[in-house]
Amino acid sequence: MGSPCEVLVDSPHEQPAQAVASAVAACAWRIEEKFSRYRGDSVVSRINRSGGEAVEVDEETAKLLDFADHAWRISDGKFDITSGVLRRAWKFDGGTRVPAAEEVQALLPLVGWSRANWHRPLLTLQPGMEIDFGGIGKEYAVDLALAAAADITDAPVLVNFGGDLAATGPQRDRRAWRVGVEGISGASIPRTLELTGGALATSGDTYRFITESGTRRPHILDPRSGEPVRGAPRSITVAAANCVEAGLWCTLAMLEGAGAEAFLEREGVRHWIQRK
Amino acid sequence: MANDKRIGGALAAAACGLLGAAAPVRSPAAEPASKATDDSWDVDTAFLYYGESDGRVQDASLNAIAVRDFGDEHKLSLDLGIDTLTGASPSGAIAADRPQTFTSPSGRGTYTAKAGEVPLDDSFHDTRFALNAAWSQPFARLYSFNAGLGVSSEYDYQHIGANLGLTRDFNQRNTTLALALAYGQDQVKPVGGLPVPFSAMGDVVGEDSSPDNRSGKTDDKNVLDVLLGVTQVLGRHTLLRLNYSYSDSSGYLTDPYKVLSVVDPVSGEPLARTPPPGAQGPGGVYLFEHRPDSRKKQSVYGELRQDFAGKVLSLGYRYSTDDWEVDSHTLEGRFRFPVGESSYLEPHLRYYTQTAADFYRYSLADGASMPEFASADARLADLDAYTVGVKYARQTTAGNEWSARLELYHQTSKAPANTLIGEQPGNVHMPDFDAVILQFGYHFSL
Repeated sequence: MGSPCEVLVDSPHEQPAQAVASAVAACAWRIEEKFSRYRGDSVVSRINRSGGEAVEVDEETAKLLDFADHAWRISDGKFDITSGVLRRAWKFDGGTRVPAAEEVQALLPLVGWSRANWHRPLLTLQPGMEIDFGGIGKEYAVDLALAAAADITDAPVLVNFGGDLAATGPQRDRRAWRVGVEGISGASIPRTLELTGGALATSGDTYRFITESGTRRPHILDPRSGEPVRGAPRSITVAAANCVEAGLWCTLAMLEGAGAEAFLEREGVRHWIQRK
Repeated sequence: MANDKRIGGALAAAACGLLGAAAPVRSPAAEPASKATDDSWDVDTAFLYYGESDGRVQDASLNAIAVRDFGDEHKLSLDLGIDTLTGASPSGAIAADRPQTFTSPSGRGTYTAKAGEVPLDDSFHDTRFALNAAWSQPFARLYSFNAGLGVSSEYDYQHIGANLGLTRDFNQRNTTLALALAYGQDQVKPVGGLPVPFSAMGDVVGEDSSPDNRSGKTDDKNVLDVLLGVTQVLGRHTLLRLNYSYSDSSGYLTDPYKVLSVVDPVSGEPLARTPPPGAQGPGGVYLFEHRPDSRKKQSVYGELRQDFAGKVLSLGYRYSTDDWEVDSHTLEGRFRFPVGESSYLEPHLRYYTQTAADFYRYSLADGASMPEFASADARLADLDAYTVGVKYARQTTAGNEWSARLELYHQTSKAPANTLIGEQPGNVHMPDFDAVILQFGYHFSL
């Protein structure tokens, strides 16, 4: 998952806690191995190497592709699992290199879910196109892991994969889980949230950003222009029923740039935004 | 997205389609609270009874500690204690083969010890109030500090103190260094005034006058404590703590109620005295003790804590030495293990041994030259003590916890042979005793 993963089980007994930990770890490893674009043997790598050929995918991958397809439609094309190719031009390593316009233009033909052909169970990409499940995969793993934990124990459980997290309910003493939000000191939002159930996801540039003319730009790219989104907040945290939903709200709000707050307000989504 | 188009429903449906059977997370409607603080006080209350055998000191205390977390580890704690002390305590005088009469500390009455009995001063009773307030918070990334103020008051003793502590984490927070400073200023105001060191216990005086061997009403005592500590995580289940501490006390360190018996240099028996006609007073010669006005103490402490799958063993050792020549060793062990769903038991063993202070005397020989300092306080003699106890705690379904602790304490003190006079060896009565400690605690949130 590229980040620390943890599971908290509020139980006086060791045995169920151990079982939950094993199940959650197994779930995390399985999703990582299956969907990581960094692993040569993953489904994602197989798709990205297909060179224009149709690839038949399994049921779980198909569901993720359906979800990505829905998200693309809902967002009028702003959420796009094929936009990762743009990263070849934009290196979000905190540096100051801004790519030339031609460099970005040259990549745009490889970007766009509309150029892909998705007919369950067959996915066909244009040669050179790539997909990744950034913004979906980790959140999906959190929800699956929590469901696996809930099958094992009635004890309250919280699963946290690199700041995207979900809980079965409050702790045993009915108190909320206290969750620290990785942020910028002096930011106006609370650094600790209380979670009594449901999920929290955070998207932001705490770790990945590019500095252009002294302005930090978050790592969210608009697939239609190939440019980083202007006016995007430093970080967005959203609460929702499950982590997949929370994560998608974060990404969609980030893509709204300066309009992130207005967007989430209008949708009535519980959120915390840092801009400074 | 057009501004007027809402997508919440479509998005939730998409998530549901993806998660399928995994979607019904227990409480899907729950949302996090935006509160940055834990809006409550964590309160620990305790009632403690301490009772010594043979009707000696008994102490009942009530204590409440309330801690409030204002978020991000910014914590305020308030600690309130009240305790009531009754019973008798050894006066320092030794047993004799005849009854002995003493003038009480106020100078206005007497108490008596039977033949062969260790004299106990039963005019001993006190109520003490204590209040402490402390604040702690992190600053910078790996530092945190704490500061506190405390006062306590009893009828013959006032204390005011301040403390400051600093911790720094290292090594991915596996190592913590701590530095703590505490300063206390105490005022002693003994009943009947401050006795002149080595002056003899006088006869009973009238209601409106004070004993004439007094040098004033109050005196001061200052204590500076410095602690340097390191806590090291030695693996997932092992924790090691090492402390060095230095304590410097100065001022009035004498116990104003303690005396020494003056004895016959040959028999070792307390001298007999007859009060003047018409007067009531001591039937022997008893001199008020005198201790140095400075004490510097150093100690090292090591504690190892090991977690064996939910069972926690902690072992501690302390060595302490001071310029009164009191050297002590303490060995302590606790083992906590769960019992059933939400309870635990914790047996506790402690052993303590110390050497006598260099000015400790069992008694003073009549006619011999006076030492510079002397005390017959059994707590400054060679001393061994052990404690055996067990604690039981149970968590309620609401997350509160109650606990009960029972401990038995046994103490033996021994006068070093070179402090014995004449025929005293073989005829020493040291005030050994047993005590029972019973505590009930309740932890809850407000």
